[in-house]
Formats: sequence, structure tokens, C-alpha cells
Amino acid sequence: MAGSNDESKLIEHSLSGDPEAYAALVAQHQIMIRAVTFRMTGSLDDAEELAQDAFLRAYRQLASFNNGSKFSTWLCKIAINLSLDWRRRERRRDDIHSEWAANAISENNPGGGFPDELSRRVQSALNHLPAKQRAAIVLTIYENQSHAEAAKMLGCTEATVSWRVFAARQKLKRLLKDLPHEQS
Amino acid sequence: MNNPEIESLLKKARLPEISEESLAMFPRRIVAGIQHNDPRGRAARNFSPRLAWAFGLVACIVIAFAVGHWRGLTENEMVHANDTLASVELVRETLAMFPNRIRAIVEDEHGLNLVLSDSDNVPVSAPIYIRICDGKHCSSLVTFSGQEIQIAGQKITVLSDARGGIILEGNKFVWSSTSRIYASGNLKIEAKPL
Repeated sequence: MAGSNDESKLIEHSLSGDPEAYAALVAQHQIMIRAVTFRMTGSLDDAEELAQDAFLRAYRQLASFNNGSKFSTWLCKIAINLSLDWRRRERRRDDIHSEWAANAISENNPGGGFPDELSRRVQSALNHLPAKQRAAIVLTIYENQSHAEAAKMLGCTEATVSWRVFAARQKLKRLLKDLPHEQS
Repeated sequence: MNNPEIESLLKKARLPEISEESLAMFPRRIVAGIQHNDPRGRAARNFSPRLAWAFGLVACIVIAFAVGHWRGLTENEMVHANDTLASVELVRETLAMFPNRIRAIVEDEHGLNLVLSDSDNVPVSAPIYIRICDGKHCSSLVTFSGQEIQIAGQKITVLSDARGGIILEGNKFVWSSTSRIYASGNLKIEAKPL
């Protein structure tokens, strides 16, 4: 490896088959990707597995990455789409299991590894959103993307993202109405 | 709760802490996964003589099955090609063209052939449809009881009894439609009154 932390150099070295360069890229972006996959799944184990799949897929598709765009955005797109596929698979596999998974944090594991009750409640509420609405919230609220950017990432129109965000907010407000919040 | 309030609440939510060890190990696991999935490395790692033999055996079975199936199809295609003689209408019309002179109508890979008698001395009887396959070629014919026909490389005498049973007698075999007696196993024979 060249020893440079410059992202494009790391990508270039990764493309030429240097695994250490790619390891450095993973180290730089893992927290963001693992956060996205956790918000989408509500499970640390599933999140880690999906994040791993995302990085492996990104490596295989690295040659198609356009250097003009942000690497983190490109990675995030892969992770969010893998998470949506994962949700579809899970739903097909067993609706009951999915329902159980959605409630697992709040019922079977009161702490759930969360630092506080608010964090646990918020994730539990996110788990109750349909996957596409959840993806819209994750991208626009947690990843600070505009509706247009999120639409591009999700392969839908900006209006669709706006509608999903609206619908998700309505549901989240109902689910979290008893939590103390700052009046704006 | 309005939109800024719900967004503020969502952003306050923190994630479960990921251990330092997990963060340190994660990039290593990705690299290991890449090396494991590398096609060249995987092929080298997975090569096993026993596995290669197993694959070879399976390949042979599949090829043998495919060839057998193909030959079966070819044979069936011949049967279909020879089905012209199964048409009672066609046989009747042909017989009407040469009354008492047709000893046999033979269809093989060369097409349809009439075997005619020198004179109109062929007795009137129910026509018999016969199909003979020798593994490579199939021939069909329509003939009558008592006729001696050259087919499948040998001379065959065709006989029928009062109950519709058919007997074929060749140089190297005898075949009966009722008892399916074979003296030569490589011929596949079907015979029925038409």
C-alpha cells in the first residue's frame, strides 16, 4: 500500500488488488454503513452481516464506481438496497418471524444494548415502519440527504420520497408521542 | 408534535455501542472475505482429486444419459417419419391402384417403395402393419400374410392367424405378436393388423 489516506488513492490501490487499501477504506466508512444497516434492521447481528455484504459487493463493483461522486454515498446506496432486499427476503421467509424480530428489542431484550430508553424506543418505532418508509427516514434524517438525493439512491421519484417521509413521520409521531420532546 | 420536533427526537436516538474489538476486526473480516471469494484463490483452494473424480463421474453419467436420450429421440423421429404407413387411407388408395399385385409397401430412410408381384396373384387379405428397428435404422411396411419380404438386411416371412396374431420369421429370429418370442435381441419389432 502507498500509505496515503487519500480516498481516491485508496480506491485506485484497491482496484489494483491491494487488500490493505480496501481495509483502510472499510475502516473509514464502517461506522456510517453499520449505522445505516442497524437503523434498517434493528439488530446488531443482522446489521453487521449486511454491512459486510455491502463492503464485499462494493469491492466487486469497485470498477464501476465513478470517481466524480462521493464514495460514502455510493457505499450507502449499496447498503440501503441490500437492506431493502434483506427485508423482502425476511418477509417472504416468515411474516411471523419478522413481526417477532420487530418487537424483539422492546420485549425480549429490554436494554437491547442501547445507551438510553429514548434510543431504544426510537429504534423500536423505526422497526414498525414499512421498509421503504424506514429507508426514506434513514437517508433524509440520519444521513442528511435531500429528498432528491434519496430518490436517486432508492431509484424512485422525489415526490415518492417526500410521501414516504410524510407517512413515516405521521406514524412515528403516533408511536413516540409519549416521549418528552423539545417544543419548537 | 410537529415535524422539527419529531426529527429532533429521531436524531437524539443513539446507536448501541460497537466494541473497539469489533471495529478493529471488521476490516480484517472484509479482506478475508474478499480473499475467500477471489475466483482464482477459491479454485486453487477447492481443488481436490477426489472431488475432481466425482465431477468426472457425474459428467460421464450426464453425457451417457444425454446420448441415450438423443438416440431415443432420433429413433422416435424415425418412427414418426415412418408413420405414413399407419394411415389406412393412404394404404387403401395405394392398394387400389395395383389390385392383387402389391406384396408390400415399404418405407425406410430412402422413402416409400412398392414391392410388386410380376402378376396379379397376391391373395386379398387384411393388411398388416410392421415396424422393425435394428438400433440404427427403422423400416415400416404394410404387407399381407404369406408374403416374404427383404427388410432390415434379412428375408422375413409374414404370417397371421385367424385371431389376428402375427408371426414374423427371419433368417435369425422368430417373432410372435402374442408371445413376443425373440431369437435375435437387437431388433425392435411392432406389428398389428391395419
